[in-house]
Amino acid sequence: MRNGFAGLALALTALAAHAQEVYPSRPITMIVPFPPGGVADITGRPTAAALEKVLKQPVTINNRPGAGGKVGNAAVANAKPDGYTIMMALSSVSVLPEADKLFEQKPAYTLDQLAPIALITADPVILVVHPSLPAKNLAELVALAKAKQGQLSFSTSGVYGALHLPVEMFLHAFKLKMRAVHSTGGGPAITMVLGGHVEMTVGGPASISSQVNAGKLRPIVGWGAKRHEAFPHVPTFKELGHDVEYYIWAGIFAPKATPEAVIKTLREATKKAVEDADFRATMARVNSPVQYLDAPEFAKYWAADAKRLAEVVKVIGKVEEQK
Amino acid sequence: MDGVFGNLMLGFSVALQPSVLAYAFAGCVIGTLVGMLPGLGPLAGISLLLPATFGLDPIVAIVLLAGVYYGAMYGGSTTSILMRIPGEAASVMTCIDGYAMTQRGRAGPALAIAAIGSFVAGTFSVVALMLLAPTLATFALRFGPPEYTALLTMGLLVLSYMSGGSMLKTLAMATVGLLLGMIGIDAMSGYTRFSYGQTELADGIGIVPVAVGLFGLSEILMTAGQAATPPAQRPTLRQLIPSADEMRLSIGPIVRGSFIGFLIGIIPGAAHIISSFVSYGIERRISAHPERFGQGAIEGVAGPESANNAAATGAFVPMLALGVPTGPITAVMLAAIMVHGIAPGPMLITEQPQLFWGFVASMYVGNVVLLVLNLPLVGLFVNLLRIPYSYLYPAILCFCVLGVYSVGNSVMDVWIMLVMGGIGYVLRKFQFDLAPVALGLVLSPMLELSVRQSLAMSGGSYRIFLERPIAIGMFGAAAVLILLALKPLVFKSKDWRSDVGLDE
Repeated sequence: MRNGFAGLALALTALAAHAQEVYPSRPITMIVPFPPGGVADITGRPTAAALEKVLKQPVTINNRPGAGGKVGNAAVANAKPDGYTIMMALSSVSVLPEADKLFEQKPAYTLDQLAPIALITADPVILVVHPSLPAKNLAELVALAKAKQGQLSFSTSGVYGALHLPVEMFLHAFKLKMRAVHSTGGGPAITMVLGGHVEMTVGGPASISSQVNAGKLRPIVGWGAKRHEAFPHVPTFKELGHDVEYYIWAGIFAPKATPEAVIKTLREATKKAVEDADFRATMARVNSPVQYLDAPEFAKYWAADAKRLAEVVKVIGKVEEQK
Repeated sequence: MDGVFGNLMLGFSVALQPSVLAYAFAGCVIGTLVGMLPGLGPLAGISLLLPATFGLDPIVAIVLLAGVYYGAMYGGSTTSILMRIPGEAASVMTCIDGYAMTQRGRAGPALAIAAIGSFVAGTFSVVALMLLAPTLATFALRFGPPEYTALLTMGLLVLSYMSGGSMLKTLAMATVGLLLGMIGIDAMSGYTRFSYGQTELADGIGIVPVAVGLFGLSEILMTAGQAATPPAQRPTLRQLIPSADEMRLSIGPIVRGSFIGFLIGIIPGAAHIISSFVSYGIERRISAHPERFGQGAIEGVAGPESANNAAATGAFVPMLALGVPTGPITAVMLAAIMVHGIAPGPMLITEQPQLFWGFVASMYVGNVVLLVLNLPLVGLFVNLLRIPYSYLYPAILCFCVLGVYSVGNSVMDVWIMLVMGGIGYVLRKFQFDLAPVALGLVLSPMLELSVRQSLAMSGGSYRIFLERPIAIGMFGAAAVLILLALKPLVFKSKDWRSDVGLDE
């Protein structure tokens, strides 16, 4: 089921043949390129709710998972640029085309097909293991992984996805080998660890907090420059002396050719939406405080991040699937 | 136990307030209407209504959404039974015998039994959810990629096994479905496959256009090919009510369907549609008269409809007990809760008892309201059949096109539907079973992903499928099913079930 109502409304509107319409005059679809349970979905739903209040039109979430977010990203990149299809994407949006280059395949979309609207959140990811794993800290985990080189496994949100890249950075820095089990998003990746099917994964605070608090997952180490407020006891790679840093950010995008006026409306609406008290409270509750940046600043942030991650992809190189 | 009932009373005291009941009614009406449009299912219904609930009390919000949810589930079966148009994958099985009943003038009983079956299954699942959620959820987590692979394989084989006649044809159709499911961006590696440069195809082929084309359009074409126009029906009151016989035949399928559906529903992942296929397969096999299936057997409506509803409720188990979202519908429900300042997670039931019990109570209420609302409406819906075919079918065609377009705003989907309609027509002329195509299409991406995930877990060793008890059990069951299906080919004897009296 994709988003039916927006389409039906479109069909009906088309029948009514509105000549002059003021944006937005019908429901907006926000594509989340992952299944529920991950950072993009957890951030996207409250954001959509807050945008709705400002735009006075329903903003419905449409989960389009697949290939680390590539399916949904490509869908938005190629969508009709009318402002009725927008996206809540993760940092992986700029990594996936890089990986395509690496494998010399035609990218499913390119970055210049997307227009950044606003950054909503940016959090360091945190490594979590199943509580039954003997490793209690990074040193023990590394020792365990060394002893069982190539035996431990971790789940990801998809190859070169937002949860895969940080693990590869970690493995690369410590010269470790593990089995990567790719799923389609943070939700399934975490479920796999909860069920004990893989030993570990990483996650943004929004997607792991409740499980960590309930003792169902054990946090080991974070990728931030400093410790995350919600996890004061979890050290970072940086403070342990390793140059491993990664942030999972969630931002709103629209197709590049969306008219300037529509983009302006979306930007202004987002600006108001992130000030919404309910929205701020919801994001604070999932330990993912709002880090709003408007389009120009977000574009700069994105460009710098994309450049850095492209380097990381080159360093890590091709990650082959185990057959 | 006292605690459970005390809590439940607390929940009901909220859910039964007149204003809350009014919302439940409104939700069911909206849901039923949305569900009746081809292509628009429960998800579209509740996504649309979600914003309207933000200003409401959390319990009211969930009652309203639960109403829409149940309503849309039921609305989907209405079009399947009356017009052979499956609103979504889960209604595909209902189409087959439901529509056959309509052609025999038994549309009323089919609709009534679908409503009753949904009600029983819904209630059963809510009770199971209430009493067993934490225990079951822990079990559900044990389903990793290898178990998932085994479950999906078993699902496909159950389907092949159930069409006793030509297993070859069924397997061929399942393969066609699996191959169609390969189109689009590979969920694992990200390679685009078989899209021939069409960006719309990169997203894969959706189940709705395929199901509407294969089942709905092909039916219109078949009717157009008949020598004489079938006369419009004039249902009498007696024809609206299920006969004692039909009621009796439905009890077993409803009970079994509820049970199977609930168990499949609690497994995280999106394999819920297997429940309706498995239920249909089982009913057909244990029936004393399997030849009636496909010709309008009430069991073929009662079982899958119950299973489908039970699975939908079962999906809430991992969400409520573990904070593990199982699909977009539970995510929308979760969002409705989150907006009210409640963070979902493994502690939800202990930390927010009033919410959990309110949720449980509102599901009961939604179920009852749906039954009360829809049984009288059966008469109204059946009267749609009074419209002469020359007017009815063009209207249906129009709704199919609109509905399928609106699912993804994609003209490509409309083309897929039209092509599938043509293919469906030809295949039906050659007596191929079409349900396996739909099942294969839906299962293909999941099956591929879970096989590859399993192999990634084991470092490439296929032994992983034989090292895990749940997976072994299900593969074993699948092997037995194959052997049973092969048996009539080897020994020209009757099916063993007819000898031991496992039938009704």
